[in-house]
Formats: sequence, C-alpha cells, structure tokens
Amino acid sequence: MAATSKKVFEVFVSKIPWTIAMKEMREYFGQFGQVKKCLLPFDKETGFHRGFCWIGFTTEDGLNNALQKDLHTLEGAKIQVQKNRRAFAGARTNKESEESILV
Amino acid sequence: MAALLRSSRLLNFSPSGVLKITGTKVIGPPLSRLYSGALGGQRAGVGSRQFTRCSENVSRPAWPYVAGSMRGYALATEHKEDGSLGLRSKQAQQFDWALAKLDSSVRRTGRVTKTLLLRIFHDNCRTGHPSGNQALLLLRSCGSLLPEIPMAERTELAHRIWEKLQELGAMYDASHYNALLKVYLQNEFKFSPTDFLAKMEAANVLPNRVTYQRLIAAYCQEGDIEGASTILGFMKSKDLAITEAVFNSLVTGHARSGDIESAKNILLVMRGAGIEPGPDTYVALLNAYAEKGDITSIKQTIEVAENADCSLMHRDMMQVIFSLARAGYQQHVPEMTELMRHDRGYVPDAMNLCLSLITQGMEDTAFGILKSFPALQGEAPNTDGPSLGSFFLRHCVHMDMPVEKVTHYCKELQESNLHTTPLHFTLACALEARKTDMCLSLMKVLKEQGLPVRPHFFYPLLTRHVKDKNTAGVLEVVRGMLQLEVSPAAETFTNYIIPAFTSIEEARKAFKDEGLTLESEYFLSAEVRSVASSNLAKFYTMLSDPAFPVMEIGNFRGSLTVGFKKFSDIESMVKITDLLYRDARFTRGNSQATDTASFLLYNLVDSMTEAEVHAHETKLREYFNKLSDQKITISFNIYRGMRNLLDSYHVPELIKDVLKLVDPKEMTSPAPNTVSRTTGTGGKLEMLETKLAELKAENKPVGVVVKQIILALCAKEDLERALEMKQQYEDEMTTGTYAVLINLCCRHDNVEEALSLKRELSRRDSSVALDASKYIALMNALTKSGRVEEAMDILKEMKEKEVAVSDANASLLFHVLNNLGAKGDAGSIRQLQDTLFSLGLAKPTANLCSPLVTAYLHSNDLSAALEAAMECQKRYGQLPRIHDIIVGLVETGDTELLQKAMDFVSQERGEMTMLYDLYFAFMQTNRFREARKIIETPGLRAKPGRLQWYAEKCIAGNQMESLEQMVEMTAKLFECDRDEMYSYILRSCKSTNDWKKAEAVWTKMQEENVVPRERTLRMLADILKTNGQEVPFDVPKTWYEQDASIREDKTPQPATAAPPVPPPPTGSDLQVRLLGLCKKGRVKEAMDMLMQAGPDVALGAAVYDHIIRALLATGALEDAMTVKHMAISRSPGFQLSDLAINLLIITYSRRGQATDARQTLNAMVQADHVPSQLSITRLVQELGNQGDVTAIQEVETLIKGLGLAPQLSSMVFVNNTALAHIKNGDLATAIELLEGMYTSPESTHPSMAFVFRKIYEQNNEQAIDKLAAMAERLANHFACYRPATDLFFQLLEMNKLEEAKSMLVRCGGLAEQKDILLSYTSRMARRPGQVGKIKALQSLIPDYTEKDVHYSYLMKCYGVDNDLSSAKALFDQMVAEGVSVHELSLKRLAALYRNAGEALPFPEPPESFKFYSDKLKESVSRSQSAEE
Repeated sequence: MAATSKKVFEVFVSKIPWTIAMKEMREYFGQFGQVKKCLLPFDKETGFHRGFCWIGFTTEDGLNNALQKDLHTLEGAKIQVQKNRRAFAGARTNKESEESILV
Repeated sequence: MAALLRSSRLLNFSPSGVLKITGTKVIGPPLSRLYSGALGGQRAGVGSRQFTRCSENVSRPAWPYVAGSMRGYALATEHKEDGSLGLRSKQAQQFDWALAKLDSSVRRTGRVTKTLLLRIFHDNCRTGHPSGNQALLLLRSCGSLLPEIPMAERTELAHRIWEKLQELGAMYDASHYNALLKVYLQNEFKFSPTDFLAKMEAANVLPNRVTYQRLIAAYCQEGDIEGASTILGFMKSKDLAITEAVFNSLVTGHARSGDIESAKNILLVMRGAGIEPGPDTYVALLNAYAEKGDITSIKQTIEVAENADCSLMHRDMMQVIFSLARAGYQQHVPEMTELMRHDRGYVPDAMNLCLSLITQGMEDTAFGILKSFPALQGEAPNTDGPSLGSFFLRHCVHMDMPVEKVTHYCKELQESNLHTTPLHFTLACALEARKTDMCLSLMKVLKEQGLPVRPHFFYPLLTRHVKDKNTAGVLEVVRGMLQLEVSPAAETFTNYIIPAFTSIEEARKAFKDEGLTLESEYFLSAEVRSVASSNLAKFYTMLSDPAFPVMEIGNFRGSLTVGFKKFSDIESMVKITDLLYRDARFTRGNSQATDTASFLLYNLVDSMTEAEVHAHETKLREYFNKLSDQKITISFNIYRGMRNLLDSYHVPELIKDVLKLVDPKEMTSPAPNTVSRTTGTGGKLEMLETKLAELKAENKPVGVVVKQIILALCAKEDLERALEMKQQYEDEMTTGTYAVLINLCCRHDNVEEALSLKRELSRRDSSVALDASKYIALMNALTKSGRVEEAMDILKEMKEKEVAVSDANASLLFHVLNNLGAKGDAGSIRQLQDTLFSLGLAKPTANLCSPLVTAYLHSNDLSAALEAAMECQKRYGQLPRIHDIIVGLVETGDTELLQKAMDFVSQERGEMTMLYDLYFAFMQTNRFREARKIIETPGLRAKPGRLQWYAEKCIAGNQMESLEQMVEMTAKLFECDRDEMYSYILRSCKSTNDWKKAEAVWTKMQEENVVPRERTLRMLADILKTNGQEVPFDVPKTWYEQDASIREDKTPQPATAAPPVPPPPTGSDLQVRLLGLCKKGRVKEAMDMLMQAGPDVALGAAVYDHIIRALLATGALEDAMTVKHMAISRSPGFQLSDLAINLLIITYSRRGQATDARQTLNAMVQADHVPSQLSITRLVQELGNQGDVTAIQEVETLIKGLGLAPQLSSMVFVNNTALAHIKNGDLATAIELLEGMYTSPESTHPSMAFVFRKIYEQNNEQAIDKLAAMAERLANHFACYRPATDLFFQLLEMNKLEEAKSMLVRCGGLAEQKDILLSYTSRMARRPGQVGKIKALQSLIPDYTEKDVHYSYLMKCYGVDNDLSSAKALFDQMVAEGVSVHELSLKRLAALYRNAGEALPFPEPPESFKFYSDKLKESVSRSQSAEE
C-alpha cells in the first residue's frame, strides 16, 4: 500500500563508545542528511547508555549516504551502522487471523 | 592410589621419544616433524607438560587449577536435557546455572569476580536448601580464583559461606573440609590443624588422604616441620599413600623453617622412595629461593629442572615472580619475566598475576609485567585499536589508587601505544564504581588534556543519588559539573536531577541556597512534565497560555501519555489533544501540528497494555468520539497502526471508533480475517468398509472412501488386500494412493509391482512426482536386488522432477548405500554416490560418504579404504571412518600407509585432528604408552566432543582399562572437563557394578580438586547404595531415583529396533512375533502366545511394556495387569514406561476408577516421571464427573508442582472443578469460581465450552439457567464474551436456534465477536456434515463475515461432504450475486464434479490444490502486511 509520506529512514548504530551522547551522534550523522530523530537509550540503573542508537533521516538519501560509507569512525572508535531491522510496533498481528481460509 | 603416584614426567615426550612410539621402525622420523611442528611450540626438547596442573601443592599460591574441574559445562546441560523425562528440582537447576556461570568465567579469565560469587551465594540462600555440591562449588571459589580480593577477605567470605549454608541445611562431607583446607592454603590463612581435625571429628566426618596431605601442607606453610612430621607419621601408620604432593610440601616446610639444604635434599629422598620430582617439586624449591632473593640458585634450579625433562611453564614462573615480589625482590622480576615462554593461556594467567600483585599493593611490579604482554594480544578482541591494560586500570580504580598514579599509568599506556583511550576507560570504571571524587578528578585531568567532558558523563553518579533521594549527593555532583564548566542539559536536569527532590520548587530552592545557578527553562520543562503526568487540567491551562514558550512535544510526550493513561479527565484530554492539533508551538521542526496530535494518539494506545485497554475501553471510546466531534482527524496510516494494535489487544470494537477519525478522503477497505486449521480424520477399517458398501448401494461416489481404505490397509502392511482394492477400484486411484502403494511394495521388497505401479502412475500423468522418501525406498528395493542402473535412473528422475531431499531423506539414502557397504559392493556405491552428488541431490556429508570406506573395510582392503577416504576429503571435504582406518593400520603395523594417512589428515585437517586420530587409534589398540606421548604433545587441548566419543565407545564396549587410561592421561590436558571425564568412569563402574573403583574415583576427584556435578554424585551414590555401601556424602534422594529410572528406561528402549542384549534364540524370535502381533492390533493373540511361552523365556522389558500398552489401548485392563505381574516376576526391576503408565491412568479414569488412577499418577510423579496432558485431563474430567473437588485440587497442586501447568490448559481444572461443584449441587460456588476467573485482570478468557456441553448433556436446567445468566452478565458488564460465545456455539451445536437468537438480542456485543465466530466457522468446515451450523450462524448473524468468505467455507463444507448438487447451486448463486469465486473454491467444485464422474462446465484451475491454498494464504498475509 502506498502512503510513504510518514516513512522514517532509520539506521541502527551500535558499538557507540560511552563517551558519545546524542548531541555528538546527531552532529556526526548530520553530514549524511537531515537527522529527524535520534534515539539513544540510557540505562536508568547504571546511567550509561546502552551502546546503540537509532538515527532517523528525513530522506532516503540520508539513509543511503550513511549506509554507503563503509567505515564510520567517531572520536577514534569504529561504530557500526546498519539498516534498521526493528519491526514496526504495529506488526503484532493476531496470530489466528494469519492462517488462511479453507486449508 | 599408587597409580596417582606414577609420575607422567617419566614418559615425557621428546622428539627422540617419538621414534619409540610404535616401536623402533613403525613410525620413522617423518612423524617427529609433526610432533615438534607448529603446534608444539617454539622449542625442540620442550617438556610435554605445558598447561594446567591440578595436582596438590600447597606452596603454590594462587593459580586457577580449579579451572580444570569446571570445564565443559555445556555438555552437562545437554545431559540434563535428555533427562527431561524426569523432573528437575530447582536446586539442581540452580547448581547448573551457577556452575555454568562460574565455569564460563574461569574458562575465559581464569578467575571469578566477587560480585558473581556473592550473587550465586545469595541466590542459594534465598531459595534455601543448598545442596552439598553447591556448597562445594562456592567454597572452592573462595581461594585463588579471586585474585582481586585480599586474602583475608577471601577467607572471611569462605567462612561466611560455610556457616550460612550449614545453617540452611547443607550437609558437609570430607570433600567440603578438604576444599576449605585448600582455600586456607591458597589464602595463607593461619589456623590450627589439630582444631580442624577436632572439628571434623565432632561433625563425624572422617578425614581422608587428601585431608592429611593438606594439613601437612598447612604446617609446612608455617615452616612447622615437626607438625608436618606428626601427620606424616600418622599417614604412614594408616598405610596411606605418600604422594609427590606431600614431598613438595616438605620442600616448602624445610625452606620456611630456614633449612634450605634439607629442602633441597627432599628431592633425593623422593627419588629414594621411587618418586621422581615433578615440576611442582621444582616450583616449591624455586619459591624457596625466591623468598630469599637468591636469583642465582633460581636460575640453576630452572636448568636442573629442564635437564630432568621437567620444563617449567609460565604459570610456574609466575609463582616464582609472585614470591620474589612479595619478599621484596622486585628487582629480579624483569629477569624472570623474560624467561617466561608465552604458552597458550599466557595472557589470562599473566593478568591474574597482575591483579594479585595490585591487590597486594605491588602495582608497579604488576605494571612492569603488563608491559611485557605480547603485542596485539589485548585482553578483549577489540577492533578499535589496542586497549591493553584495561583490566589493570579497572583494578587500580577498585583498589582506590591515587588519581595521580592512575593517570601516570594511563599516560604511559597511551604513549607506548598500548591503549588508545586509557583515561576514558579509567573514568568509566570509576563511574561504574560511583567513586565521585575520583571521577571528578579524572574529568579534571581530561579537561586539562583538552578532551571533552560531557553532561552525560555525570549520569552514572547521579542515578544512584536520585534513586536514594540523596539531594546533597546530587548537589555535590552538580557543583562538580559547574566547576568543570559543564552545563547540565535539559535532559540531565529532568531525568537525573529533579527526580531526587520532592518537588520542583524544592529543587529550585535547594539550588538557590547552594548558590548554584541554572537556566530557568530547565525548571519549566521539568514542571511541564510533572504537571503533564499528574494534573491534566492544570497542564492545559499552562500550555494554552499564549505566553507559554515554544516547546516541542518531545519534551513532555512521555509524561503526557502517563497522564492520559489514567483516564481520569477526558475533558482535559480532548482539550489538550485539540490544542496540540491546532497550535504549532509544540510541533517539532517542519512537521504538521495535526500529525503531532495523531501521533500522540498512536503513542497512547501503543504504550498501553492489553489489560489497560480492556479496562479503559469505554473511556477510550468516549475520548475518540469526542475527538471526532472536535473534527480532529488522523491519517489513514495512523489509523492502520492503531487498528493493528487494537486488534492485537483483542478489542476490535474500538477500531470503528478510531476509523471515524480518519479523514474520509483517505478511506480504503479492510481485508477479511480468516482462520482455519486442518485436522486428520481417522477411521477404522471396518467402518470404512461398511461405508463403502453403503455408498455403493446408494450409487454415490466412493473415491474418498476407497482412498481411505487403501491407506488403512497400507498402515496395516496388508499389501495383498491393498493391491486387490486397487485392482477393483482402478478408476478411483489418485496420485497419493499410488504413492502409498508403491512405498508399501518397496517395504515388502516387491520391486516389480512397485515399478509397474509407478509406470501406471506416469501413464496417467507423467509430470507427477513422488516424494523423496518414496523414491529412496524404491531405490533401496532396486539396489537390494542389484539393479544399480535403475536405482541411478530414479536419482535422475528425482533431479528432473526437482524433488527436494531433506535431512531425514539423506539418512535414508545413507542406509541404502550402507547396505551395499555391508556387502562390500564398492563399485555400486561409487556409482550411486557419484550420481547423487553430481546431481546435487544431497550434500556429500561424512555419513553419506562413509559407505564406500565401509565397503573396503569389510573386504579388509585398508589401502583402498584409505584411498577412498582421501578421495572423499579431496572431492567433498569429508574424511569418513578415518578412525577405523587408522586403527586397522596401527593393528597391521603398516607404517608406510599410516604415515601417509597421518600426513594427509594433518595436511587437510590440521595437526590437532591428526594427533587425536592417532591417539584414539593407539588407545583402541591398547597401545597406551604411545597414546600417552601423543596426548602429552605440547599445545594439545581438550576436544570435549572427541573425548566423549571415545569414552562412550569404551563404556559401550566395556573397555574399562582404556577408559581409565584416558581419564588419567588427560589430567593435564588443557581445558579438559575433569568432572565429565570421571563421570565416564563412573558410568562404566555402574554398568560393571564396581563400587570399589567408584569410591576410588571420588577420592581422586578430591585430590584433583574437581567439583563434581550433581549427576556425578548421584551416579556415585547410586553405585555405592546398590552395593550396600554407605554413601559418604549428601545426595538428594529423588535425584538418585530419577537418574536410576531414566537409565533403566533407556536401556530397554532400543529393543524395538534391535535388542541390545540378545536373549536366547526362542526369546528373540518370540519377541519379534509378539511385537508384530501388537503392531497389527492382534493383541489378544499376543497375550495368548505370551501365556503359552512359559516362564523360562526371557523377554526384554520393552516387549512386556509394548504388550501392556497394546492391551490398555483396547481397554483390557485386567489382562494388562496380568502381563505386568508376569513382567515383574520374570524380569527383575521391571517398570512400566511412561507411555504405559499414562495409558493406565486413562483406562482407570475411563472406567470410573478414579482412586486407582490417582494412585497411579501419584506413584508416577513420585518416581519423577511426567504424566501426559491427556492422562491428567481424563483423570480430572472423571473427578469432575464424580464431584470430587478436593481431589481435583490435589491433582492440580501436584501438577503445578511439576511445573507442567503451562502446558496444560488451566481450564481443565477450572472447568472440572466447576462441574464438580455443579454435580454436588453447589451452583453458587461454581459460578463464583468461573466469574472470578473471567473478571480477573490477568484472565486470557479461555474457553468454558466443556462446561456448557456437560450441563446440556446432563440436562441440568438449573445450571443451564444460572450459567447462561452468568455468561450474559460477563458479556454485558465486563465485555468478556468468551462464555457467551461458548454458550452460543453450544446452542448452535444443538440446533436450538430460537434460544441462540434470543441470546443475540440480550447480548448485542456477541455478534461483533467476528474473530471468534469466524474461527468457529473454519472449525466446523473441517468436519463433514456441519454445513447446517454455518448456515444457521449466517442466518442469525448475516454479517458475521464477508460474503465471499462465507461462501468459500460453504464450498469447503460441500467438498468435505461430497455434496455436488449443493455445491453447484452455491456456485450458481455466487455467480448470480457477483461474488468472486476463488480458485480454491473452483478447485473444490472441480473435485466434486470429478468424483461424480461429471464433466466440468468450467476450466479447472491448472495448478495443484496446495498451490491455490498457498496463494490464498499469501494474498491474505500480504494484504495484512501491506496494511501495516
């Protein structure tokens, strides 16, 4: 179905050193395209972030630019950038209805 | 014990020794190349002993020899898994977990952290009842495995554990006292040996050889030779063996008493006693010199040791280094460090040395060692450049070292390019440890070096304070931040500062009082958040104020959702949503305000749980409706997301309310939801035959029944009659029927018939393919009769028709080939293999490659076998049966070929594999001396899989000597799982019932410091008990029983395939016939045969069990009991299998003998067997029938205790308890029970259809009235429709349509339960004769689903019922109404036409049935995923 207007172009970034925070991430990924969102979860218990983050670009170009670069180095550390595979939250469908009619 | 004294050093490997391996000429010089090659390390002449040693030596301070005892945990888990027949106590699981944790820690690092140890300890305390070996495991870990903890603290910890676990009921035996002694020795704890012995005596625990050995060590550690001599004398008087370990202690003892000469002389004494000084002896002596700083003697002694073929490894050297440093002779350390070879495992060992040194305050010495670490071998594989020394820095932080010193180390590490970010790393450690002062100082250093200091660096410090509401702590950190000129970002402020205070006001004031100035917007957004979550009206007032600044919704969305989720103020919710919808101040960047609002809706629903949505359903509806009134719209996308969420929460009722919000311009139609599942229908042959006759009489189509009859005949292996049927009903034959028949012919080795059937089939339709297993069966039949060419044609046909070969099929192929191998027919195998692999039908696995080698081995042609194996390796990368080949070569002494084989293996698979192959070949042929030299090859490490393989071979073949030899030889093998190894011996002891050997194993394990796993202890206890021996340790009883029963279960099991213990010929013959009769359902005959056989005929337990099961299946309980008694009297130790016991429970329950059934169940559970769901269900149903509420409860408790509850629907108990109450006339309680269950927030709304069915069966009108009222109440007041739908379907089932109709009137919501209604339809459509129900449903609720879906189900029903005329009418109706007819429906219709022998009035869809059903499935799921 169409309706791509709301689509977010996300990359999943991991192996982020603890010294880097959201601001630095946004700055770094800004070079590939406009960053719409940046989600870097912190562990409330330890106060450290979890080492991974999601960067959402406004355009597909941003996403592709970021993915095309094979080595991402941030303050001397190699960070890993992948296409986001996290399923959309609404994908939890009713199991029963997935099976088809008449089999 | 003498065996333990035998020093392996005598047999040390050296290149010259290699020549002797298989005699003087067997393996010549070329082999030696292998041994001293790459694996062997850098030097020639190196001693064999390179790695772990587990021997007893007190003078060695701290190295993780315990490691060896805990290896290979993964294997143990698997072992447990196949014990899943029995129950697992929590205790054992916990032990498993703890062992796994500690093991992995020791394996990786050679140490354990205190945190981990304490965690396991506390877990043990919390759950109570610690087992003996849990205690042992913990105690063992309190010594040198904790290099990061000061020694005194370690001993203290050991004592704490000892006392606490004793309090909780842990039983201590000699192994625990010995472990405690070891800990004392490792921690250099001063204690009185006499008191210790007295304590043991008081506890009634007998000291053993190991105890005395360690007490001697304790005296010697203090330099008390006199004390040591007393014990030594005592040992001699008791005739206990004096081992090398004792002498090693004496070396230390003399040295510490100041008599270094006597220490040296011990070596001579040893030789006099026939014991060669081992490396441990030399290490004891070296330590003695080290304590005196005598570097010259140290070097000399090292040389002496080398000359005695006792080369010292890095671990030994590290002890000497430690001794030097502790005695204050650090200056000699670098010299020693240089002497160390970097063997495998050097880095973790050196790390532990560093840690110990730091703990003892000798960090500079430690740093020197750190710098000697081999390059590029940082402790963690890290792609971000070197990070050597992280562990060092971390420990410095933990030891509270001054910041200046740590930064000095950092600087040096960075300057020498060993670590890229040492300061950041150190800071992270300090933050983790929450050492505020150290952190702030470190950040200051960072800043001075021009490195950034960021707000989130302070989070770890703040979190703890916030959690503790420690405002002073928070202010201290904030002050530190401001001093470092770091301004806390908004996020810091709201998440990590404000929450510590009770209110924002308090925070504002506290900051002011402290003279800390912060920007006011921090406080504002904090306030907004706080108000959003607590007071929506106030929030609206705040935000709607035009003076309110621009603030993105991201600042408060989370809090606002929290506030919304309370649903206490719908008015304000609407107002706020409206405000966000229209006011751009709260929208981020360039997005639309309308989107901001609709995302909020999505977030709201997404953040709610299913239960919350159910609880607030009406409020949500009200909210949505009011939004709609406000003309707020959402995009279709958002709607779709929300719809999916609501669907998954099972509140589809709300979807229409959300749909109203969608911009009408964006509307599209949703797709149908459907459900279906197939069930197999089984039928007795007689029944089918009657039906066939009936159909024929009525002149109706018989195709389906014919097919069923043929299938049934095939299942009964009745080829003759099956072929007759085929002959008779040639026209009714389908592809499937042909396939089954062909397969049956192959099983009966009737190749001709099979081929002719196949030809017939392809005449009908040449494109038809059989499935792989049937093709392979055909191949097998062909090769058996020597028709290899034709077999190859079958393979080609499979390829042409693209038949996929699964793993299971591959094993069938293996059997085909292997049968040829057994005949020695290498030629045919080669042809078949070539075809098979070149066509790519199956991957050339080792298994599939092996038959060729087997063929040559069978004809004793070793050379050809080797060639074949080598060819396989070259072509397919497989080396089949190489062990057997090498064994053959070793046995025949064909050196040339052996050399060739070894060269080849080594080249293709590496030296490690080659060495193991050779090792096992020597072991297999009892050439232990040669084997030992191989296994002691420097650099060799344990390969658990291979060791297990050989051990299993020994156990199965009863080769105790070989097994014992292997266990002993592998004592020092790197990473060898010792417990596992000893457990192999125990298993062998068990099978030979040798308790003396078993007991000796236990002592050996203590000496080696092995922590036995529970299963090992159980096995040992079991052996001792069966031989009437006292068990000297504590074993949980159930475990022992379970283990034993599993073992008994398992042994007879294979009897069905091939009896492992061949009974006398008459017995085995009888056995086969009995099993055959049971299989054919002629159990009465089997019974008669058994009765006639008389008591002398030995039958396997499995046969009895089989007959009992067959009898129970026919309900012949009494006969079954007779056989059971017979089995017990004739086959000692006979026990019913789980299957049989379950059948027994079911039979009792069916006959209303609930008491017997329960007794059987209880006995079963007590014996740690697991009852099946079905047997529990039947029993509980019978108890419900009898109105025995208490019994149901007891069964439920019993079953829940087993942890089986999740597998068993809890409704079995609830429904039957309710029925029991009803039976007892206590309707009120029944209703209370059911109602309580459905209204509980956790309820998953399971089905109570069973209850309705029963009360209608009983025609209990009172119960029907009351329960119906309950169902309606639940539906109308709690929106819980399950009971109502259950009742509704029951009414449909009984064709009480009027009642069903009036029910619909009373419960309006019922008609909206479309998922449930549809799933009912699909269930009905699977069974014949149910079309009326579906029609009735549709007449009552015309819109229960889309019309096309309804019609397709009807078509399915007609198909099942074989009702062509109705199907035709339906088709016409569909065409007339313009409803699209799916291909699948057409396909069904076509089948009906064909069955009736009528011509098709439309073209039949060309593809198979499955194709269209897959297509439909796909299109449904595609439309669903597209919507998402």
